[in-house]
Amino acid sequence: MIKIKQLLTALLLAFSASAYADEPSAFSATIASISNGVDSFFNDYTGWFVGAVFHSVPIGDANFPLIVGWLLLAAAIFTVYFGFVQFRRAGMAIDIVKGKYTDPNSKDEGEVSHFQALTTALSGTVGLGNIAGVGAALAIGGPGATFWMIVCGLLGMASKFCECTLGVKYRTVLPSGAISGGPMYYLSQGFAERGLGGVGKFLAVGFALMCILGSFGGGNMFQANQAHAMLTYAFDVPSEYGVITGVVMAALVFSVIVGGMPSIASVTEKIVPWMAVLYVGMALIVIGANIGQVGAAFSAIIDGAFTGAGVVGGFIGALIQGLKRATFSNEAGVGSAAIAHSAVKTKEPITEGLVSLLEPFIDTVVICTMTALVITIAGLNAGPFDGSGLTGVTLTAASFTETAEIFKYLLALAVILFAFSTMISWSYYGLKAWTYLFGEGSKTELAFKILFCFFVVVGATIQFGAVIDFSDAAIFAMSIFNIAGLYFLMPVVKKELNSFIARVYSGEIKRFD
Amino acid sequence: MNESVECEIKLERSLIQDGPKFLSHKLIVTDRVAYLKPTISSMLFCFVYIVVGMFLISLASYVLLQSQKLDLAIFIGGFGIAIGTFGVSLIQPFLQRASFDKHSGVFNNKRDRDVKIKHIVSLQINNKVVIRKQALSYRCFELNMLTKNGRRINILNHNNAVQLELDARKLAKFLTVPLLDLRREIVL
Repeated sequence: MIKIKQLLTALLLAFSASAYADEPSAFSATIASISNGVDSFFNDYTGWFVGAVFHSVPIGDANFPLIVGWLLLAAAIFTVYFGFVQFRRAGMAIDIVKGKYTDPNSKDEGEVSHFQALTTALSGTVGLGNIAGVGAALAIGGPGATFWMIVCGLLGMASKFCECTLGVKYRTVLPSGAISGGPMYYLSQGFAERGLGGVGKFLAVGFALMCILGSFGGGNMFQANQAHAMLTYAFDVPSEYGVITGVVMAALVFSVIVGGMPSIASVTEKIVPWMAVLYVGMALIVIGANIGQVGAAFSAIIDGAFTGAGVVGGFIGALIQGLKRATFSNEAGVGSAAIAHSAVKTKEPITEGLVSLLEPFIDTVVICTMTALVITIAGLNAGPFDGSGLTGVTLTAASFTETAEIFKYLLALAVILFAFSTMISWSYYGLKAWTYLFGEGSKTELAFKILFCFFVVVGATIQFGAVIDFSDAAIFAMSIFNIAGLYFLMPVVKKELNSFIARVYSGEIKRFD
Repeated sequence: MNESVECEIKLERSLIQDGPKFLSHKLIVTDRVAYLKPTISSMLFCFVYIVVGMFLISLASYVLLQSQKLDLAIFIGGFGIAIGTFGVSLIQPFLQRASFDKHSGVFNNKRDRDVKIKHIVSLQINNKVVIRKQALSYRCFELNMLTKNGRRINILNHNNAVQLELDARKLAKFLTVPLLDLRREIVL
């Protein structure tokens, strides 16, 4: 009871008149101390992990993280192996989304419409990666990072196609009725089919562990932290009062993931696509209002990509930032999308793979480029690009606000809803990995959910440093296990693709125009 | 009601696409009345929204009074009103008790047109899988009824199969109508 009283007092103190005083209050000091403690903890205990994941080799003046090369090489290999599927079959992917391969008279019970499928795909991909991630990439990598983001987005389409097809092909219906799929399942089952069950199990367990860490890091703490950073920018809310943002968000996340209230999930699924529309609309307004500067902005992007002027490490530095933030945004090769897509209602795994390859295009090639244009046009991101000035969500928000003051409020609304939606998605990915490792059960699942909500509060409260490095590392570490498995299983995907194409051409799979 | 009409009506199809992932209601049967009582856990999850909404509205008022930050107060207050209203809209269906009253001879769920109890032909248990892209998919069950005029009305919709079966048997006995278990294997 005393603790509850103390908490309530702290919450009220947070917005008291003294909260805006120049001298830091006891509350601020306590929060700052907790924040430093958590940051030190992450630095001391996870520093080795971050160092291992981002192990770099010197190239010129820059240190090139091997993990970035790992993702880029895989995307390039998948692109060639599948015969440039993202370009040659893009029309077919659009037709699938438009319903041209679905009999209009045989709509199954529970089947989602194609508009719903598209909006769900959009809501899953458009998020803080497009807003905060691009801001961070340009603050450190300069405008040239945008070019490398686009390259990564185009190549990443093939990685996403491969992993999402496998996600559906090897999915399992658990005794509870829950549909489980994703790298844990295709790694273990796919390798077992080839007589390499032990290797598959090792990769699957490794992936599941990293996925749990990723769900606490990039899928949770980063989101909560950037949501509060947006409030700090838009409304001057002191950063140490993130605890309130964290508690409110954690309560709402708790009610969704623990309560399982269907209408909440429905509302989230309905609102978030409109937030994506709002965000794109704002970006188009800014670009339209400054149409005369778009040419110069593209020139800055192209020049920066190859000269890397003002960037630490030159063009390699720009390339690293572009590739890192693009991967963080579109998640191609990471394996998380394969978990989400495995729940789809389809008999043809390849159709889901084809639909999923549109996501990196929409997410990175279209929307991240729009954000980059807004930032470049605003001109607030001047060299040297060392991240010491505006960065992340604040750089993006400030750039939007240059055109219209009201955008910062709309952006705050969008950021909070994107953060909330991403947390819900990642709680799902994390829970899938958790149940894979520890089995289904109300107690084990509740333990994960409570831990997840706790990290929402931690993420919003602390002022980053080591924690953002950890969030990044955990997400990227998922790709180590996932991509290793994709190399072995890509012939399965190729066989599925060839079979589907052959049946389309033979007329076995009908087209409904 | 003959067999061919039942086939046309497709009794095995579930009536509602969505459904909660918890036990939302239990059936209470007295001498002449059977009614659905919401569970405490379902009410608590609705209260989270009302409490969060109220907290944000209070916070917005406090911010406005103490710091005169109108934009922040509107932003927080707006969220508070939206979340609180959402919580109230969620809790309302739980507070409206559907009942089968033998005194008046009608079934009233405060939503559909009243049905005369004597017109209820049978009860059916249906199953479905609620598929979500951003959350775990799960099994869910419905208890539905069929009326003499061919109307199908949902009575219960939650994911506790054991409790739903128990309540269905109790209700079928109370109404003296057959209970059809139409659960089937769902291929995804």
